[in-house]
Amino acid sequence: MPDRAEGANPGGVDRAQALRSRRDREAIARLADDLLPALIAKLAASGLGEIEVREGGWKARLRKPAISEEARRMAARAVESHAAHGIAARGAVGHGRPEERDRRLRPEEEVVEEPTRVAATSPAVGIYHPRRDLAVGMRVRSGDRIGFVDVLGVHQDVVAPVDGLIGSSLAEAGEAVEYGQELVRIDLPETAADGEPGRPVGDAAAVARSV
Amino acid sequence: MFSKVLIANRGEIALRVLRACRTLGIGAVVAYSEADRDGLAAQLADEAICIGPADARRSYLSAPAIVSAAVVTGCDAIHPGYGFLAEDEGFADVVRAHGLTFIGPPAEVLACFASKEATRRLLGAHGLPTIPGSGMLRDEDHAQEEAERIGYPVLIKPSAGGGGKGMRLVRTSRELDSSFKVSRSEAKAAFGDDSLYLEKFLEDNRHVEIQVAVDRFGNAVHMGERDCSVQRRHQKLIEETPSPALSEAARQDLADRAVKAVTAAGYENLGTLEFLVDGKGDAFFIEINCRIQVEHPITELCTGIDMVALQIKIAAGEPLGMTQADVVSRGHAIEFRILAEDPARDFRPGAGQVVSYLAPGGPGVRMDSHLYPGYEIPSYYDSLLGKLCVWAPDRAGAIARGDAALRELLVDGVITNIELHRAILANQVFIDGKVTTALLDRVGSAPFVSAGIR
Repeated sequence: MPDRAEGANPGGVDRAQALRSRRDREAIARLADDLLPALIAKLAASGLGEIEVREGGWKARLRKPAISEEARRMAARAVESHAAHGIAARGAVGHGRPEERDRRLRPEEEVVEEPTRVAATSPAVGIYHPRRDLAVGMRVRSGDRIGFVDVLGVHQDVVAPVDGLIGSSLAEAGEAVEYGQELVRIDLPETAADGEPGRPVGDAAAVARSV
Repeated sequence: MFSKVLIANRGEIALRVLRACRTLGIGAVVAYSEADRDGLAAQLADEAICIGPADARRSYLSAPAIVSAAVVTGCDAIHPGYGFLAEDEGFADVVRAHGLTFIGPPAEVLACFASKEATRRLLGAHGLPTIPGSGMLRDEDHAQEEAERIGYPVLIKPSAGGGGKGMRLVRTSRELDSSFKVSRSEAKAAFGDDSLYLEKFLEDNRHVEIQVAVDRFGNAVHMGERDCSVQRRHQKLIEETPSPALSEAARQDLADRAVKAVTAAGYENLGTLEFLVDGKGDAFFIEINCRIQVEHPITELCTGIDMVALQIKIAAGEPLGMTQADVVSRGHAIEFRILAEDPARDFRPGAGQVVSYLAPGGPGVRMDSHLYPGYEIPSYYDSLLGKLCVWAPDRAGAIARGDAALRELLVDGVITNIELHRAILANQVFIDGKVTTALLDRVGSAPFVSAGIR
């Protein structure tokens, strides 16, 4: 990694700040790239409900939701794309772009692997057409077609990213939508029953070392 | 004139086109990828639309995404900027098929000039001296035969190319063997077209290009030349106008022949004819660029013509509105490409956050950049951070202003090549106006950097 603190303008006023933000970025990158995937795997494989890990001034906590593994993955992906749209995504710890990770992971901020509301997003820029029979409360499975986006006459499917219930519409039929725009909310079945938040299970540092 | 233009590009050129649209009083929509959400053009635009993910193949290189974005936002024209789909005749055709105008040469003109090899023959027939080269290469064996015929060293060049991608200098048959496949796959990845041809490589040449503008009624002017000899691995680093390599008479002659040849060949809109000039001052045509070029601002500084606005007007079907006598080039201008590359570490491209940014000012100084403090440079695209251009009544004055402006320019948080530019400016070969395209590659940047002003 290039040493960003040694910019082309030595003696810059923000040198110390640059160094600090570089360290933070590196810490975040380490958390997101190395630790988190391993922790997620560990969490999935173990009977644990929650793992917390600290590094420097940063803390990441993962909690396992009581939904299926695939739905969880889909949800994480969907929430990740929320994040790209500037909508608060307190949830996913997927592999977002560095700046997304930056935004999501603030010191002492919790990262909880528990999406409760996600949205189906637009696969392309075009005109949105929801399925005619789409109604709030309708049960959908991950991958179900919710509608399509007309891209110059070619239909691109809008699909449910997770199993859940159709929630409120975020775009009108016939509306021009952009890539990644949220179109329909998907409410997840109630899952947060188990585990009190804020109580790490097990010795997180030990878990982190062993992965 | 158009009512609203979709800007299908990113970085500084998206901003440049946005400024031209505003100057002309026409609306603009900036099309951006997910990675460019925080880009300055998207931030400043009255309207911006996300066309796809960071991967350019699904955003800036996706014709359906771009055209769909133009349609749903009610645009009547698309400006492709440079790179990406700027010279893609297929794209220009799709744009027209949807009732929109491609800002650039019409599709059939692009098609006519799409093959560099065919263009060389075409313009050669219209009186331009051309460099010895091959036809389109069928395979490795054909490449070997042609290289033998032309004589080493030769350049392998992608026919659809630009910006040095897929281009390789080979000096032996063995090198040709190993480089051929690499060039082919690079060309395929960069342009979606893997056709290659060979060109005789002139040692110690200079790169001089003539800027032309032709409207659809056949009115044409040239705007003089630009010397782009300061290059690293075929990437232009510093450009200046006028060229120190040509006498006034040679310059006039070359520009006149260039504009006559392209007009006769049916060219339309802005175009740049690139020439290699050898040690004796003889110029050989190598290719035409059918787009606005990165280095256009130095021509603007000397002629006072807003070239992007002119490009838009020509595409809208307006007449040129000027004759050759109206184009007066004054003084000397130099452009420095400010790149997020580390000269001390083999020009490794950098990404990251721009912690602080301060553009230089003063007489004759222009900074075209999309940077701002806090901007996170995405790692998906090229490393161009901006273009610092200076103008002065003469070359020595432009060099002095260039150095002063480079000293003022502050980009903190990412490593840049600013100091390399200063070192080149201080180098005697540059001061004497004798830089050739191979110089930086041959001596490396280290002597420049170490001898640079502290």
